[in-house]
Amino acid sequence: HSLVSSLSGESGLPANLRLPPNLIGAPREKRAPPTTSDLPVLRKCEADIPAHRTPTRTWLESLISRDSEHLGVVDLHPDVFSVPVRLDILHAVEVWQRNFKRISHAKVKTRAEVSGGGRKPWRQKGSGRARHGSIRSPLWRGGGIAHGPRGPTSYYYMLPMKVRVQGLKIALTSKLTQDYLHIVDSLEIPTPDAHYLQDLMKHRQWGDSVLIVDVGEEFPQNILQATASLKTVNIIPAIGLNVHSMLKHESLVLTLEAVKFLEKKLLWHDCRFTPLYPFKLPYSDLP
Amino acid sequence: MARTRTRMAVFGGLFRTGVSLGQSSLLLCTRQFATGTCLCVRMHAIPKLKNVDRWTEKRSMFGVYDNIGILGDFKAHPKDLITGPVWLRGFRGHELQRLTRKKQMVGDRMMLQDRHNLAKRISFLYRRFNRYGKRR
Repeated sequence: HSLVSSLSGESGLPANLRLPPNLIGAPREKRAPPTTSDLPVLRKCEADIPAHRTPTRTWLESLISRDSEHLGVVDLHPDVFSVPVRLDILHAVEVWQRNFKRISHAKVKTRAEVSGGGRKPWRQKGSGRARHGSIRSPLWRGGGIAHGPRGPTSYYYMLPMKVRVQGLKIALTSKLTQDYLHIVDSLEIPTPDAHYLQDLMKHRQWGDSVLIVDVGEEFPQNILQATASLKTVNIIPAIGLNVHSMLKHESLVLTLEAVKFLEKKLLWHDCRFTPLYPFKLPYSDLP
Repeated sequence: MARTRTRMAVFGGLFRTGVSLGQSSLLLCTRQFATGTCLCVRMHAIPKLKNVDRWTEKRSMFGVYDNIGILGDFKAHPKDLITGPVWLRGFRGHELQRLTRKKQMVGDRMMLQDRHNLAKRISFLYRRFNRYGKRR
């Protein structure tokens, strides 16, 4: 392919695509996904995969040592990790997350609430000045505001449950296709040192910020201490996963149990009945 | 301020004589008052960029547990996470709806002046919405 450049004698790429020669830090190379390798699959999906789709394959890694290569290949369910990427749904879920919790406390006093202003300042006719009924009307300096923000306002609304679920699936799919998703067997690291994690991230080109997700309330002490001192590396339980955090952190690290938990929770919505009453009330067939 | 006063002093004398002589174009250009207010933003230097830390605890943990319903067996709802006034958690409405809800939920423990203002505002909005204008 030939690219026409406006200046004669330049290299093939146009000016806005050329990297400067003194750039610090090598550009990130994406790893090749394990499509054609004969490695044994270390984890198969528990849920049934539709016949017309094949499971998505990724590498399984380990955090034990910095230089350890991938341990093998795992299967991921295509209806969670290979959905068509709808950016509008992603945007809608992100905006919902920002706004549904928002309560704006902006409030100004109207002319009725400002102190004073009950008496007519001067008589209606004869004084030569403009006619006024109170010194706190919105026309006056120090008077009330006619159409200002009134009271704490809430911006609460809920997106349909399936839209929020689809947003999670799309976020996971985008992380996987952009090579920012890493599956790890467990979260054990040799030292509680933050530098070890930063070194690992730099060596494996994970990016500036990492979100680590695991199931359950117990985490190994080493990783808790290491992430406590780092601002851009955060660890959350799987219940706390959400689109905003996934977009804020550059890289996502999931354990195998977290993958199993997420697949189970997110796939249930594809084949459930519509709720006759809210799901928080007991159903006979739901656990 | 000083400039306008000297200008006024210079042309003030002319003004009195100018009326009797007739209109002169010089007098039409003067004004005997100042039009600027003191609210003009004055900058002596380029302001410093504000340094916003994008990775504080609040910003990095924003949005966590928003999906507690779908990922957590529906025992909790995201509206339980909202911190704010009691009458606004998980509720959205226009001003009259918010005020009547506040009166129902919190009215008996409000201070006297606040409750009086609330009642006045409710009655004003009720009359405004239901009696005046095209949409009632």
